[in-house]
Amino acid sequence: MKRAKLRVFSISLIVLLVVTTSGLVFGAWFIKKWEQQVTEKFDGQKWRIPSRIYSDSYLLYVGINLKREDLLEKLRRLGYYSVQTTPKSKGEYRFAPAEGLIDIWLHDFDYPNEKVKGYPVRISLESAVVTRIENAATGKEMFSLELEPELVTGLYERIWQERRVVKLAEVPPLLVKAVLAVEDERFYNHHGVDPIGILRAMWVNLRSLSFQQGGSTLTQQLMKNFLLTDERTLARKIPEAVMALIAERKYSKDVILENYLNEIYLGQRGSQGIFGVWEASQFYFSKPLADLTVGESALLAGLIRAPNRLSPYRSAEAATKRRDTVLAKMLEGNIISRKQYDAAVREKLPQRSLVKVTNEAPFYVDYLRRELEQVYSNDVLTEEGLRIFTSLDLQLQRMAERALTEGLKKLEATHAALRKKSAADSLEAAIIALRPQTGEIKAMVGGRNYQKSQFNRVFQAKRQPGSIFKPFVYLAALMYGGQSGIQYTPDTVIDDSQFIWSYEGQEWQPSNYNNEYFGAVTFRRALESSLNSATGRVAQDVGIRRVRDLAHRMGIQSPLPAVPSLSLGSAEVTPLEVAVAFSTLANNGVRTRPLAVKQVMDQSAKVLEKRDVRVEQVVAPQLANAMNQLLKGVLDHGTAASARRLGFTRPAAGKTGTTNDYKDAWFVGYTPDLLAVVWVGFDGQSKLNLSGSEAALPIWAEFMKAATANMAATDFVGPPMPPGESEGKCGPAGREGEVGGEPCAPATVPARAPAETL
Amino acid sequence: MSFVGNSGSFAVKLLLAGIVLAAGLFSCAPQRPYRAPVPPKRSVPPTPAPLPPPSPAELGRRPLPQDPRIREQDIRSKAPATAPATKETREPLKQPSVRESRTPVEPAPQPALAPPLPDDSSLLAKITPGVSPQRAASLRLTEEGKRLLDGGEPAKALTPLERSIAIDSTNPYGHFYLAKAQHRLGRYQDSLNFLDVAESRLGGELFWLAEVHALRGENFRALGQLQRAEVSYDYALRLNSGNRTAAEALARMQSDAQPASR
Repeated sequence: MKRAKLRVFSISLIVLLVVTTSGLVFGAWFIKKWEQQVTEKFDGQKWRIPSRIYSDSYLLYVGINLKREDLLEKLRRLGYYSVQTTPKSKGEYRFAPAEGLIDIWLHDFDYPNEKVKGYPVRISLESAVVTRIENAATGKEMFSLELEPELVTGLYERIWQERRVVKLAEVPPLLVKAVLAVEDERFYNHHGVDPIGILRAMWVNLRSLSFQQGGSTLTQQLMKNFLLTDERTLARKIPEAVMALIAERKYSKDVILENYLNEIYLGQRGSQGIFGVWEASQFYFSKPLADLTVGESALLAGLIRAPNRLSPYRSAEAATKRRDTVLAKMLEGNIISRKQYDAAVREKLPQRSLVKVTNEAPFYVDYLRRELEQVYSNDVLTEEGLRIFTSLDLQLQRMAERALTEGLKKLEATHAALRKKSAADSLEAAIIALRPQTGEIKAMVGGRNYQKSQFNRVFQAKRQPGSIFKPFVYLAALMYGGQSGIQYTPDTVIDDSQFIWSYEGQEWQPSNYNNEYFGAVTFRRALESSLNSATGRVAQDVGIRRVRDLAHRMGIQSPLPAVPSLSLGSAEVTPLEVAVAFSTLANNGVRTRPLAVKQVMDQSAKVLEKRDVRVEQVVAPQLANAMNQLLKGVLDHGTAASARRLGFTRPAAGKTGTTNDYKDAWFVGYTPDLLAVVWVGFDGQSKLNLSGSEAALPIWAEFMKAATANMAATDFVGPPMPPGESEGKCGPAGREGEVGGEPCAPATVPARAPAETL
Repeated sequence: MSFVGNSGSFAVKLLLAGIVLAAGLFSCAPQRPYRAPVPPKRSVPPTPAPLPPPSPAELGRRPLPQDPRIREQDIRSKAPATAPATKETREPLKQPSVRESRTPVEPAPQPALAPPLPDDSSLLAKITPGVSPQRAASLRLTEEGKRLLDGGEPAKALTPLERSIAIDSTNPYGHFYLAKAQHRLGRYQDSLNFLDVAESRLGGELFWLAEVHALRGENFRALGQLQRAEVSYDYALRLNSGNRTAAEALARMQSDAQPASR
């Protein structure tokens, strides 16, 4: 019996020893592992900071036409808030319609190469025109004013954490004290875990029979955010406490506090999480940290407990109540005086509406992301907080989106055959708008619904352009003349009858729309009415290789086979290529490279790259202007005349395009300041059975009406004539016609002959 | 063996001492000044034949009839135009020597030229009551870009200058200063492209056309295309004999070429 007891005792002892030893070994192993994690986090990359994509900035100048509503909407989107009196701090604006004044106190903004400190400005308006801009602080007259770019979206992997990392020295001491007062009063008196704090929290919770207080120290909270999950279990609490002890042993209080102030979650703007005190100060008050008042500091500190529930955007009442609690704590802890307290509780919370950042240009962002990925890795783009400045005009982008969506709806409503053919084959469209002078891509919609299909038809879909290719034929004719010796002018008579073009042992016969032929027509009429047979004859005379080469020179990059059908647009191209090529005409023969990304800055505001405007005069300006005048006729009395009926009345040039099999409908059109290309069709190549003027032109017209509403109506201006040069002069060397030779076409196209009978 | 070895070592030492001595003597000997290799045919004649000022009709032809700069195949290939195959065009850009940069260059003999044109460089003076708001804003931005350029900040100047042509694409001065900024940044072909555009928008503004041709000359010179540079400078002076850039550059080219002719 005694032996048996001894045996049991021995076994128990051994078991205990084994358990204790393994516990110690495992414990040591865990501690080592946690220590390694803590060290890696503190010493390594703590935060993944997404790149931010900005739109183009908005330039106002004296004399610009301005729709007040547009400016006010722009200010609202930029996070400015309306006040009734003259703005007193950054981010405020006042609109006084009776006086025709808009007062704005500009935000600070780090532009590439320049950090701008916000200052007050006054804009005077007379009806819709800006008559004066002045610096309201100095009274100095300004001639232009740049409103900062809008944040379009961030580039991130899983969640968008908006954060700017600051040093502890950059955080106002009052804010630090306010945070400590409500989150960890005894921060400087514990070693990571605070038993007194835990007991006090337990006592408070027991007394109220509810969860009122947590016993976690600020270090524990940081460990939880850095390395652990949000679950409230013992299994999480133990490593949290151990890690907090490790962190306190290895790092100073200031390092821990600085990390905490940068890490803490403080709100949500749509998909964008607001992290750290710097970002929160901007989000709630549009202010740098140094400018925060006592009340604002208390409000931020109070938000840590429940950022969304206590947000002033959600409930000013709840936010005020929480702020006052924090202020009371600060008063109690002698952090602020009674006078400061009284003033702070009287501070009114700004009434502001939350402007969520939703990516309104997903196709555009995809396009520029592809461009950026040629230079920067995905990790750099999603983690290193680059700031990417683009050419995007969000206002035009919205207009393009609206025109496309509503245009397609209307088409489906009026043409039942266009309604969804199958789940995978619904009516689609694409639109791209660019500024011909600079090549800046101002708007891009690559499809009807980005959520359903991310295929960007602006630069990924190659489709036959149909008749929008014809201007290259006519320009080549003006430039080179015909092999037959004909020197083409807008009034040259061309035969629009059936013919057969024999080439390389094959035959090709173009046929006109509805098989209608007009016999003798002028060059101008053939282009305006988009006559296939006449165009074929011109192309044959000029030489299809010259046409192909000219199209390449103007910006078409897709391979173009030099076959007769090329003249009617049989080779596939993208809407982006079409836009670049026609912007060469709009810009008087100067080709620009398409520009989406303008500048890239790193977190320290260093400019990593700037993509400049690049130009090249590839067509003589006289010839480009002659084509512009001819293509104006397409809108005024040609195949696109319905644009005028649709209410687009500005001087503009353009060309419709319809493919032979009615699978693609196009329209490219431009004013001197803005060019847009619209494509409509099915991804699955189903037939539209509509022409470019029926399907694409209405979308273009709606977009351009809205987009140019505030622009001054300008007409195409040809190159100035040098002294002594008469208009329409065509020198003997003019057959070359390209840059470097003499123009052979008239600089301006004479008005239509009244007696033109065709 | 050892004798051979010793005597071999002695011979080597003797040879080395001889080489060192010879080198020392050579370095002490008076030297002829260094001259850059000179092509057999000079690009700049020492006394250029006087050229008449261009006729108005000649001005209308753009670029110069004798300027072989841009040809269709160059445009198609997007490559800088190839110069005529003369030896001088293959000569790399000669950096001015310290001596050259310190001593004033003797003015080159000038052809019979039209009198200097009045200075028309002020852009703000072009903002008159009849000017459109776009042009006025564009000119002010161009002026801002010009100021940054003068302050030695060509990269910064690009932003206002690009804005200036975005607001008013017909503003030739914006294109001119963009060309100047690109030149300062060492992008000579881009600069030439902007100059083409500026020229096409200038019309009959002789002062500015001369500026365009002078800057074009600077770009060609930087690209090592001395003959083209000379043609451009020369044309600039025919438009405005007061164009300092062209006059100084021509004089510099001539002085560079002078020693070679002796």
